[in-house]
Order: sequence, then C-alpha cells, then structure tokens
Amino acid sequence: MSLLAAIRKLWHSIAPRTHSDVEEEFRSTLDAFQEDLVRQGLSEEQARRKARIDLGQPAAQNETYRDAIGLRLFDELRGDIRYGLRDLRRNPGFAAVAVLSLALGIGATTAMFSLIYAVLLHPFPYAGADRIVNPGIIDEQHPDEPRWFPLSKAVFDDLRLAAPVDSSLGFNNAHMEITGGALPEDISGIYLTENAGSFFGVRPVLGRNIEPYDAENGGHSVVVLNYRFWQRHYGGDPHIIGQTLEINHATYTIVGVMPRSFAFNDTNGVGDFYLPASLMRGLFNVPYVVYIPWIKLRPHVTLAAANAALEPIVRQFAQQHPERFPDHWHLALQPIIVPFQQETGRTLTLLLAGVVLLLVIGCANCSILLLARGRTRERELAIRSAIGASRWRIVRQLLVEAVVISCTGAVLGVAASYLLAKLPLSLSPDSFPAESVIRINAAILAFSVALALLCGIFFGLVPALRLSRNNSARMLPGRQIGVVAAPAKHRWSVLIIAQVALTLLLMATAGTAIRSFLELTQMPLGYDPANVMKVGIMLHVQDRGEWNRIQSREGRTAYIEQIREKIAAVPGVSTVAVGTDAMPPYTGDERAFNVDGTHEGEQTQARVILVDQRYFTALRIPLLEGRVWNTDENVRGDFIAVVNHAFATRYLSSSNGLGRQLHIPGLTSQNRYAATSPQSTAAREIIGVVGDARNDGLDHPVAPAIYVPYTAVMLPYEQFFVRTQGDPLAYLHSIRGAVASVASDQQISNGAFNGTFSLKEAIEQDEQYSRQRLFSILFAIFSAMALALALVGIFSVVAYSVAQRTTEFGVRLALGAPRAHVLWVATRIALVSAAAGIVIGLAFDSFLGAVLAHWMRSAFASGSVFTAAALLALSALLACLLPAFHAIAVPPAEALRHE
Amino acid sequence: MYSPFPDRGEPLTKPVELPQGTLEMLILKAVSLGPLHGYGILLRIQQISGERLEILQGSFYTAIYRLERRGWIKGEWGESENNRRARFYSLTAAGTRQLKAETAKWTDMAAVVAGILRKKAGEI
Repeated sequence: MSLLAAIRKLWHSIAPRTHSDVEEEFRSTLDAFQEDLVRQGLSEEQARRKARIDLGQPAAQNETYRDAIGLRLFDELRGDIRYGLRDLRRNPGFAAVAVLSLALGIGATTAMFSLIYAVLLHPFPYAGADRIVNPGIIDEQHPDEPRWFPLSKAVFDDLRLAAPVDSSLGFNNAHMEITGGALPEDISGIYLTENAGSFFGVRPVLGRNIEPYDAENGGHSVVVLNYRFWQRHYGGDPHIIGQTLEINHATYTIVGVMPRSFAFNDTNGVGDFYLPASLMRGLFNVPYVVYIPWIKLRPHVTLAAANAALEPIVRQFAQQHPERFPDHWHLALQPIIVPFQQETGRTLTLLLAGVVLLLVIGCANCSILLLARGRTRERELAIRSAIGASRWRIVRQLLVEAVVISCTGAVLGVAASYLLAKLPLSLSPDSFPAESVIRINAAILAFSVALALLCGIFFGLVPALRLSRNNSARMLPGRQIGVVAAPAKHRWSVLIIAQVALTLLLMATAGTAIRSFLELTQMPLGYDPANVMKVGIMLHVQDRGEWNRIQSREGRTAYIEQIREKIAAVPGVSTVAVGTDAMPPYTGDERAFNVDGTHEGEQTQARVILVDQRYFTALRIPLLEGRVWNTDENVRGDFIAVVNHAFATRYLSSSNGLGRQLHIPGLTSQNRYAATSPQSTAAREIIGVVGDARNDGLDHPVAPAIYVPYTAVMLPYEQFFVRTQGDPLAYLHSIRGAVASVASDQQISNGAFNGTFSLKEAIEQDEQYSRQRLFSILFAIFSAMALALALVGIFSVVAYSVAQRTTEFGVRLALGAPRAHVLWVATRIALVSAAAGIVIGLAFDSFLGAVLAHWMRSAFASGSVFTAAALLALSALLACLLPAFHAIAVPPAEALRHE
Repeated sequence: MYSPFPDRGEPLTKPVELPQGTLEMLILKAVSLGPLHGYGILLRIQQISGERLEILQGSFYTAIYRLERRGWIKGEWGESENNRRARFYSLTAAGTRQLKAETAKWTDMAAVVAGILRKKAGEI
C-alpha cells in the first residue's frame, strides 16, 4: 500500500462523514418508514407527516451525528463565535467603542514605551552597549562633577589588557577643514583606534569600518563618513567609496559610510567622519598621543569590580601626570547611557505613567461597556437558562463574546501601536535624535495585550456570574413594567469614578505641561532673537603664514574687526557684533570675582561674557544705567566692564554701583593659541548696567553676569552676531563671500559645535524647549484620548440604563412627573459617580502636586487643575444628559408600549 | 397500527425500556445476522423482540454513529430491497469480537442477577 493510500485511509477513519452523507442516509430511512406507513393504509400526506413527526427533520440529523462522535463542542463553540460576532454587528456602536478603547490603550502604551525605550533607554546601536563604560574620576572635594581624562597610548594599552576589560576604544575629536574646494569648510573628525570595527560591531551602509590593518605604515589615509555628513556633503551619493577628500591639505580615501543610527560620539560631539588613530601622531606634533577611552567590560563584570581592578592602573598614570588629576580622587566607570538617563529620566517616567494611566482607562472603559451591556442582556440570559441552557453553556457564550471583543481590540491595538510609534517622530522631528530607530517592544506589547484580554474576559463574565447567583425566574418577569428602579447594584459606577479621577489626573498633568511650555515660550528672554544669526569662525592656527598675522592680540583684533566691517557692509545687514561663547541662551563662563577688592567669606562667581559694545544693540539688550564702552575701549580690552541687572541687585547693594571696581582674577586663558590683553585681570570699573538676558538656559533664572570687551581674552575662534532685515539665513551666502573677501581660505563654521544658527532656531532646538514641547504635545494627546474614553464610558452607561428603563420613564411621565425629575432619576447614578470621580481626582492632584513639583520643576498650577476639572465636569454632564434627553423625549404612550 | 417508533403521545403497547448501553449490543447483534440499513436494523430488533422494545429515534442513530465511529460496524452505500439507495451496515472484525465479549458479559450478568432474584427467603 502506498503511503498516499495509507494517509487517505487514516483520514477516512478519522474524518467525520459529510453533512450530505448523514442527511441522505436519514432521508432513506425516512422514505422507507413512510412507504411502510402508506402500505399500512395511510395517505401519502398523512404518512409524510407522521414520518416527520416521529423521526424529526433530516437537517437536524447532522447535529445528532456530530454529537454522537464527539464533535458537538466544536460546533457549539463555532456557533457561539458566530453568535457573538452577529451580536457585535447588531450593536456596532458598542462593539466599536469597546474594541477602540482597548486598541487605543494597547496601542498608545506600547507605542510610547517603545519610543521611550528606543530614544532614551537604548539609543546606542553598538554591540554590547550596556557594557560600554566611560572611565571618569571623581574629585572627592567636588563629588558632583565627574571628570574625564585622556590617556597616553601606553596606559591605554595597559587598561585594554586588564582582566575585566573585554575591549577598549580610544578616540579623539579634532576640528578640521575640508580644503581644495571653492570655500573651505569647517568640520569635525574623530580619530578612532583601529579596533573600531569590532568594538562597535555596527555594519557600515557602504564600504567598511576602520580595521586593524589601517594602522600599518603609520596609518592609512582613509576616512569613514558619518551618515549625515554623507547626506549633507555628498547628497547620499552611493558611489562615494574610493573617492578622495582633501582634509587639512592632505588627501584621504573614503572607504566607508556608517548607518544613520551610528552617531559616535553622542556625548562629546558627533563626528562628520572617522579616521585611523595612527594618523594622529603625524598630524599633531605632540610628545605622546592621547586618547579618550571607552571601555567595554566583559559580560557579568560589576562596575564595582571593574573600578577596583582598573584603579591601580589609572593611579600609576596619575603619578606620572599629577597635574591632570585633583588631590583626592577615585575612579568611577560610568555606563555611557547614564548622562542620557539623568537628563531624561524624569520626563520618561512621567510619560510612561501617563500611558499606563491611559491603558487603565481604556480597560476600565471596556469593562464599563461590558457591564452595562451585561445588564441589558440579563433578560436574554434568563430566557436561555429558563429554556434549559446549562450554566456552563451561558458562561461559555459570554466568554466567547468577551474573547471576540478583547481579541479584536488586541489585534487593532497591535496595529495601532505600529502606527502610533511613528506619530511623535512625524509630529515633532526635532525632539528626537534623528538616529533613533523605533522598534516595537515585544514585552510591553505582550503585557498590554494580556491586561486587555484579562480585563475584557473578567468583565464580560460578570453577567453570567450574576445570573448564576440570582434566581433566573426572578429576573424574568412577564414584562418589566414596574416603576421600581432596577435592583441598583451598579458595579460600573466604581469604574466610572476611577476613570473620571484618572482622566482628571491626566488632564491636570497635560494642563500643567502645556502651561509650563507656554510660559517657556512667552518667558521674557531679555534679548530679541528675531532676525539675528550667529556666524562662527575658526582661526587658522595651524597655518604658519596665517598664524603670523593673527598671533598677536592686535593683529587678531584687526583681523576680526576687518571681517566684522565686511559683514556689516552686506546690504540688508543692520548690526554686526562680536562675541566669544556669547550665544544665548547659554552665555559666558562661570568665573570668580570680587568687588572693590573685598574678599567675602564665600567665593562669589558670575558669568563672564566676552563681547564687543555692539552686542547689546544687535541683541537689543537694554541699557539701564551708565553707558556701554566705546570703540577705543573695546580695542584696549581692559579697565572697564558692564554688568547685568541680576548682578547689580545681588552684588552692588548700594543704589548706584557705577564706578565701583571689579576684579576677575581668572580672566586669562591656558589655551596656547589664546591672546590675552596685558591687564585683563586688573581692576575694571563698572561703567554700565544692562537688562537681564537669558544666560543659563531657558529654564533657569538669569545668572549675575559681567560683560567684558572680547579683546581681553581672545581664543582661536570668534562669533559674529548679525542682525538683518528679514530671515537672516537668506544672507548666509553674501556673508560667506564677505568673510572670504578678507582672507580667501577663511571659512565660516558649519559644525554642530560652533555652527551657524539663527538665534530663534537655537531656542527651538534647545533641549529644555523641545522636551517641554514634546511633553505638552504627548500629554495633550493622552488626556484627549482619556477624556474621549471617559465620556464614551459615561455616555454608554447612561444610554444603556435609560434604554432599559424607557417603560419606567413613560410611566413616570404619564403619572405627571416633571421632566427635570425624570432626567435626574435617569442620570443620577452616572452624575454622582462622575462628580465623585472629579472630587477624588482633585484630591489626587493635590496629593500628587507635591510629588510633581519635585519632578517637573513646576507644581500643578491650581488654575489648570480647575480648568481641567471644569472641562471634565461639563463634558461629563453633557455625556449624561444627551442620552437621557433622548430617552425622555419619547412620548409617554409610546414609552409604555416599549418592550 | 404498527410503527417501529413509539408514538410520542400515548404508547399502544407497554414498552420495555432498555438499560443503558444495551441498544448498542442489540444493534451489533442485528447486524451480525447480515448487512442491514438503519431502518432495517430497527425493524429487525423490533421483530426479534416481539415489538416490545421502545427505541427512541435519537438514541438509535446516536448508537449507530458511535458504533461506526469506533470501527465495530462499517457503513457502505448500496441498493435496498425496493431499489433505493441506502447505507448498509455490516460487522467488522473488531465488531465481532466486541459482540462476543458483550454477549458473554451480558449472559454472565443476567445469570447472576437472575440467580439472586430467584432466591427465596429460605434459601439464603
């Protein structure tokens, strides 16, 4: 016997007979019986009738057959599912809302968590990223500030060979220029030790990584491009591999392009391209090559163990170079994720709390609907049970329906999570690192789906449980005509209370987030960012000829002023000012100072901002008292200073601080390319007071600040602040030309570090700003969803209960009850529940306000809480009244006939 | 008027109710005498029993289906005596063994029960 035949035989022995086969057999029996009856003298018609009565319908026979061979359970389940689906189709509103509640909850929770996970918890694409640490040292006198230290190659090799270390990467950022083009371009390169390819374990999109053989012969002249640089500079040219690039007048071959997700180094500044570290020796004329290390620990090595094992090596290094280390310190390896977590941890936790609330509200809503619907179905179930349905059968029916709803919701939720995860990125692309790759987190998806299923099934079964407890006869009056209110045990009222309270919580949080964002946008900046652009330049300190021109302070000042004048001559440019690290909202350096030579007990510090006298005009910072320095004083650089209002209030207690003497002992620079004025640390007379302009970020108050002529300390870079008529970026090309007319190879910066920005853009791209914006957008979405769900919940509860009690309302109205009273009777429970929810929500808010004040740096504004409460109350009232109005609008006579 | 199916109103003859599980044994027996279609099996049982057994239609076909499913009888389509298509059942080898075992069991049990019931007060 062939295998096929064997299988066919096996199938025939298992497979049930077909429907028609069973029916035909039964029909033949029926016919035989009928013929017998005819033979016994009955008429054809009588015989047929009797045969049918005695034997039953052929169509029903199949059921007997399937029951006999044990297939009935499947048939019934199939029937239940069909019935459940048909029932959902009959109540499309109920089905849609229940399914959507679950889908929204699941989708939003999963999407948000996946987003947060991808962007904030796990933003690195590197292999074993959780084991990569940044070795820092903690100065025991200032434990709050971890410090990083560069290592010589020898120590770096020692570290690499230490027991807990799997591998380590050395890198060094360097500012470079692309030469050979029409206009030079300032870019940022990162030297990587040649093990970079295996250390990162990231596959390039094109070509290859930097590999160990690139170290041969003092380093191959090759570069691997960053994705964004590739896009920006080469327009994403797919044939870029093998082309050459001139950097600092040397030729390099492009050997690879990294993927979009690779943005090394996320903390120290992203490189435009990556080069083999062996090239550093030739380029920098330094006695030894230094690296900043990243260390990948072996799996299962604790931070403490690694710290203990590596500290002796670093101590040895510290003995050779005591000047680089504080007196008392210890090693502190820091996972590379830590800085991200510190910055965004709170936002993250709050957002997560928000979406979990939304999931809970969604589940509660589905439960409310199921409970409310369950009540309307009690009668149907009672009839089923009265005509002989077993309790198990009824439970099974309800279970199947609940599963149908929950599963549909879950499937839609999974689909929604994929769509929703992309939404925030498309809404507000600036708020996220472009490198983040969103993947749906399977664990959280499973969790939300499981929660939704459980809740759907549990609440779907409640009517069955009630039915089995109650006497079915009692629930089955001939007609429900009693004026008696239905036995009122409203489980859903608890859910409504919870739902309303949680919704209020979300709304209050959203209100607060939006308000603090609005505050941030409307906050007085103290300067006018509109139509002002910062243009940075790097001086060519490496170029010997150039260096001779700008080495002296005077030469450099003349050079800067010459460029300034050329930019100012561009038509449409109204003011051009000069500054060093003077780009708001973060300006200046903290430096110690004293007034009138007095040494107070504590060391006082203020922001020292290096600018020229036109800075105040260009940024429209108002002069409050005295005067601003003039051109001659600006060139001299010494003996004068202007302070801001915060400084004057805090440190110049006398009404008029003008004329007082100020010392800034540290106003000098260790930078070997810096040029300092002869008396930069000498006494300076305070000649003016200007208004407060943001200098410590958007969310911090303005710090006391001292403005000093920029010529006091000249670093090898400067910034020009250009006020123009209209969009400043439109002038960029002419400004480029103006700069090049002074020195043809003088480029203006493009890099992230010192690039070109309009001041308005700088605010919008500010971390605090984009975080607050994201926060308010997301919470507004969450709370809108929650509000919608809560309202739908209330609406459906009232709609269901009034539909059940139409007859009762008809009787009441017929007996002369005022409409308002009937309305109250109809909506009382829902209204009271919603009110209780609001009260509980308010209590919650005032309790959580204290917690949030600590977390969000802004407490619940009582205004936004009450606005939210009022809005919620109003909408809840509407959600109650609309269906109730609908019910009492039915004429009493019709209502009485209502079944 | 004769009907192999008891009238649901009031039965004419006083029926004997079958103990649980006996119907299947009777069907096996009926089929063992020669292939029969469903109606034929019913008629034969009625005939052998002297028309004293009440066989509910529902349980009758349930029993046939179950026996077929277990592989004790085998159904095949054929022509009936009056040229109708009908499904004829015959005993399989497993069915023959089953009938033998059931018969032995039944005879034993009937003997034991009859023996007990025959006892008179004095004999115990």
